[in-house]
Amino acid sequence: MTSRRMGRRLAASGIAIVGSIVLAGLGVAARRQLGTRRKQAGGSDPARPIRAAMLRLDRGLAAVRLVARGGARYAGSAPRLFAAAGEQRQQLRQDLALQTAEDVAQTLGAMKGVMMKIGQMASYVDEGLSPSVRRTLSRLQDSVPPMSAELAAGVVEEELGSRPERLFAEWDPEPIAAASIGQVHRAITRDGRAVAVKVQYPGIAEAIAADLENVALLRRMLRITAPAQDVDALLAELRERILEELDYRREAVNQTLFAEFYEGHPTICVPKVIGELSTRRMVTSELAVGSRFADLAAMSQYERDLAAETIYRFVFRSLYELHAFNGDPHPGNYLFHGDGRVTFLDFGLVKHFTAGELYPLMQMARNLCVRNDPEGFRRSMELAGFLVPAAPLSTEEVVEHLAVFYATIRKPGPVTIKPEYSSTVVRRFFDVRSPVAEYVSIPRSYVVLQRINLGLFAVIGELSATANWRAIAEEIWPFVRGPASTPMGEAEVAWQARRSSRQTEAQSL
Amino acid sequence: MSGDLSAPVAGLRALLLQALHPLAMAGVDQHSDWRQDPVGRLAATSAYLSTVSFGERAAAERAAARVRRIHATVSGVDEVTGRPYAASDPALLLWVHIALVDSNLVARSLFGTPLSLPDADRYVSEMVVAAELVGVPRAMVPATLAQLASYIEATRADLMCTRAASESMAFLLDPAGLDEDIAEIWQDIRAGAVGSLPDWAAELYGFERAPLTPERRTEIRQALGVLDAVYIGEPGVLEARQRIAVRVRAAHQHT
Repeated sequence: MTSRRMGRRLAASGIAIVGSIVLAGLGVAARRQLGTRRKQAGGSDPARPIRAAMLRLDRGLAAVRLVARGGARYAGSAPRLFAAAGEQRQQLRQDLALQTAEDVAQTLGAMKGVMMKIGQMASYVDEGLSPSVRRTLSRLQDSVPPMSAELAAGVVEEELGSRPERLFAEWDPEPIAAASIGQVHRAITRDGRAVAVKVQYPGIAEAIAADLENVALLRRMLRITAPAQDVDALLAELRERILEELDYRREAVNQTLFAEFYEGHPTICVPKVIGELSTRRMVTSELAVGSRFADLAAMSQYERDLAAETIYRFVFRSLYELHAFNGDPHPGNYLFHGDGRVTFLDFGLVKHFTAGELYPLMQMARNLCVRNDPEGFRRSMELAGFLVPAAPLSTEEVVEHLAVFYATIRKPGPVTIKPEYSSTVVRRFFDVRSPVAEYVSIPRSYVVLQRINLGLFAVIGELSATANWRAIAEEIWPFVRGPASTPMGEAEVAWQARRSSRQTEAQSL
Repeated sequence: MSGDLSAPVAGLRALLLQALHPLAMAGVDQHSDWRQDPVGRLAATSAYLSTVSFGERAAAERAAARVRRIHATVSGVDEVTGRPYAASDPALLLWVHIALVDSNLVARSLFGTPLSLPDADRYVSEMVVAAELVGVPRAMVPATLAQLASYIEATRADLMCTRAASESMAFLLDPAGLDEDIAEIWQDIRAGAVGSLPDWAAELYGFERAPLTPERRTEIRQALGVLDAVYIGEPGVLEARQRIAVRVRAAHQHT
C-alpha cells in the first residue's frame, strides 16, 4: 500500500511540475514582451540598472508564482512583515513528526532549510517580496513537522551523554514551540529551575552547510526573492549569519551577553542561559512566561505604548552600548508581562558591529537631527557607503528621500508611529523609481541592521505607539546623553547607577 | 515520506522514453493539440495522474474510463513506419506505463530517496493496477523488477526517434522564453532526466551527456529542492501531502 501510493504520487507531481515550469516560462515570456514595449514607449531612455532590477523583479515574481496569471503587483499592500515567516508553524503536527535523521534530511535538505532561513531573513530585508513569494516561504516553514519525542531525546543524549529524563528532573517530551531549525521543550532542572530547551534537528547543520556551498544556485534564488538588493553582498551576509546560527553555542554566548548587560533592568528581561546544559545542538535557558504579541491587541493603548518604549530602548541601547543587534525583531520573539516589561527571546541571529561601523550611523543621526546639517548628513552617508560619492543629486533631494527614516526623531515631541508610517518607510526604502534610489545602496555589514530597523518600525507601528522618541533617542545617543525623559527612563538611570557600581565593585575585587 | 524530490526528473525522463515509441508518438502528434496548447495538454495529464494517485477508487475509475473513451477514438497510420496504430492498443499503453514506473525508480535512486530492492520490487507490482485501469490486461504487465527489465529489453526493438519525437522533446527540453534564472534551474532538471536515460535511449536521440558525477547529482538535487519548495507554496499542495503522509503512516501501522 505504502509505496504504491508514494510511487503514484511521485509520477503525478512530476508531471505537474514539468507543466508548471512551462507555465512559468510562458508567463515570463509574456511579461518580458510587456516590459520591452513599456521601455520603448518610455522613449530613448537607456536601460539603467534600476530598470534591470525592475525587470528582474517582474521575472522573479512570475517565476516563483509559477502560474501564468498576470497583473499582481508587489508594492500595493501595507507591509505586515510578520505575516511572513514561521508564525503558523506553532501548530505542531505530532502526527507528522519526523522520526529519523533521514526524515530531517528529506524535509530540510536539498536547499529547503536554506530557503527557510533566507525567507526568514529576506522577509525583513526586502519588501520587494511579492505576497506569493511570502506565502511560498511561510508555507515552507509550515511544512516542517516537529521531531518525534524519540528523535529529540536522541539529540539530547548525543549532546550530553544521557537521556533527557535523566538529565533533567522533569522533561516534557512534547515540544512547546517550533524554532526555525529546531524545537523548544519545557523541562525542570535537577536544581529546580524551569527551563526552555531548544533542540536542533539532527543532521540539519551539515545539510545546510553543504547547501550553502552551492553559491550559483543561491544567487539565482536571491535574484528571484530579493531583486532590489545587491545580491552578492546580501548573499555573503546571509551565508555568514546562517552558518553562525547553526551553532547554538554562539547563541548561548550572545544571549549571555545580553542577559548580563540587562541584568536588573526595570523593564527589559533576557532569560539566563544555563551553560552546562547548552551545547552545539541544544541551548537551555530559563523559561519565561508571558503574553504573546497578539494578546497586546486586547490591552490598553497605555500598555502598548510602554511595551513599544521598552522595545525601542532595547534595540538602540543594545546597538549603541553593546554594539550588538539582535537580528530577529520577530514579534514571536517577545513576551509581555505588563507595565512595559518585555522578555526578549531568541538570540540566534545577533550582529556585532565594530566602532568603525557604528560611527557613520551615529554621525548620520547627529548631523541630520541634532546639528541640522544636511551637508554633513550627506557626507556621513557617503562615508558609510549608503550613498555613492558625488552623485548628481542635490543635497535637498538626498535629504528629502532619506529623511523619512528619521521622521520620528528629527524633532522633539510626542509622535505616534502608525502602521502607515512603517509602510511608508519600507516603501521608500524599496522605491526603485526614485531618482535617488540609483545612488543608494546598503553595504554588507548593514544589511541585517536594515532588516531590524524595518522590523522594529513594523512592530511599533503595529502597536500604534506614541512616545517622545526623540527624547528617548537623546537619552541613549552617546553624543547627547540626554536626561531621563520618561518614568522608564528614570528607572533606567537607577539601573545604570547600580550597573556601574557593580562594575566598580567587580574591578576592585 | 512527503513525496520525493526527484519527481520532476522522473516525469521528464518518462516523457522522453514514451516519445521513443513511434506509434505512441504518432498518436499524440496526429491527434493531440499539444503544439497549440502544450500547457493545457500537460495540465490535463497531470490532473489525470493526480486523480488516479490520490483520488478515491471510484473517481480514479471514472477518470480512467474517460481516458479509455478518448483513446478509443484515436487511431490512424503512422507516417514513418507505415504501421496502423490505436491508442487503445495495450502494447502502447504498457510502454507508457512502464516508462513512468521505470523513471520513478531510476530518478529516485539518483536524486531522491532510493527504495530498497524489496521496496522497489513491491512498487512495480503495486503499479500493475494503474496499468489495468487504462486497459492493459493484467497478464501483460511486468510485476517484478526482473520482469520490468526484460520487458524494456524486449521492447527496445520497437523504439526509434522519429521527427515528431525529436521535435516535441526539443521543445520540452528547451522551452521557449524561459528566463535566464529559471532556465538555469530548468537545465539542472533536464540534465537529470537526460543523464539518467539508458545509454541506448540517449543514443537514439543523439544526446551528448556529461557524466552524472556525485557533485552534479547534488546540484541537481538542490535545484529539485528549490522547485519542490516552490511547489509546496501552491495552494493545497502542503495539505494534500500531509493528508497522504498521515494515511501512509496509518497504513504502515496496520501492516
